[in-house]
Formats: sequence, structure tokens, C-alpha cells
Amino acid sequence: MRRIVGLALAVVLAVSVLPWFSLSSILRAKTLSSAPAPMQLKVGDSAPDFTLRDQNGKEVSLKDFRGKKTVALAFYVFAFSGG
Amino acid sequence: MQAFQQSLAQLEAANTQVLGVSMDSTFANKAWAEQIGVQFPLLSDWGGETTHRYGIFNPKSKAPRRTTLIISPEGKIKYIQQDTAALDPADTVAVCTRKPLKE
Repeated sequence: MRRIVGLALAVVLAVSVLPWFSLSSILRAKTLSSAPAPMQLKVGDSAPDFTLRDQNGKEVSLKDFRGKKTVALAFYVFAFSGG
Repeated sequence: MQAFQQSLAQLEAANTQVLGVSMDSTFANKAWAEQIGVQFPLLSDWGGETTHRYGIFNPKSKAPRRTTLIISPEGKIKYIQQDTAALDPADTVAVCTRKPLKE
């Protein structure tokens, strides 16, 4: 009887612990995938057009400069921070 | 962006338009532009559509990664710099002032 209880306990333990391991590995994989993916655009590609408002409310599009100027497009993380 | 402002005359002399972009609001950009004396457009990508289209959204900061792209008058990407390397516009100035960019 004691052996059967011991066996049952072992089974219960295995069933409850195993999913925990697979869950933690799933969580770990999820954490890894939230790291910034490498940029898809590369040198030689066409730059995607956009129309956005500047600090004075004026709309600016990339295509405004087509055939006229080189554009240095500088993405920054946040206003009121360095860079 | 302060560093780009300091290089603005050089870049403009090389027929280059500087455009800053972030996911800040127009109002935040206006206040910041006034505070640091930036004279080029700071564009508001509110919602992040352009940031996502360029593939540079950082889910950790929920903001764009610091990225500079040089785009030729024909609309082609000529140069890309990212993260801390993109803080100093020296390379951007070098690329833009070297020669008129050709396809």
C-alpha cells in the first residue's frame, strides 16, 4: 500500500513539475524574441515614404525631396533625451 | 539632435535635408526643439507606423531605435547607422559632403 502511495506521489510530482519546465522554456523563448529584430531594410533599398507632422504642425513627406535633396533621416528614441 | 544641429550648415551646404523622427507628440517635439534650438523638422511618428515600417521599433523601450539613414534624391538608402554609432553625425556629414550621391 505504501509503495502504491509512493508511486502515485511520484507520478503526481512528475505531471505537475514537467509542464513547469516547458512553460519556463516557452517564457524564455518569448523573452529572447522581444529583443530588437535586425533591421530588414538595407543599403540599396528604396526608403519607405511617409507623411508626418513637424514641430510646427506642418506635414512633411519623404517624397517632397525626391529629385531635389539628399535626406538624412535621424530617428531618435525620445524628445528631452540625449542624441 | 543637438549634434545634428551643430552640423546643419555643413549638411545643408551639401544639399542635405535633415529630418529628425520619433514617436513623441508634436507638442513634445515643439517644446524640445525650442529648448535645444533645433531648426530642422522634428517629425512626430505618433503611433509608430513609420517606425514599424522602417523595422526599427524597439519593444523594450516602446520607441524607435536610434537610427540614421541617408537617402539619395532618388529615394534609395545609401547608408545606415544604428544605436550608439548613430549618436555622432560625423559619418553622416562625411558621407553627405563627400560627393553628390549617385545611384
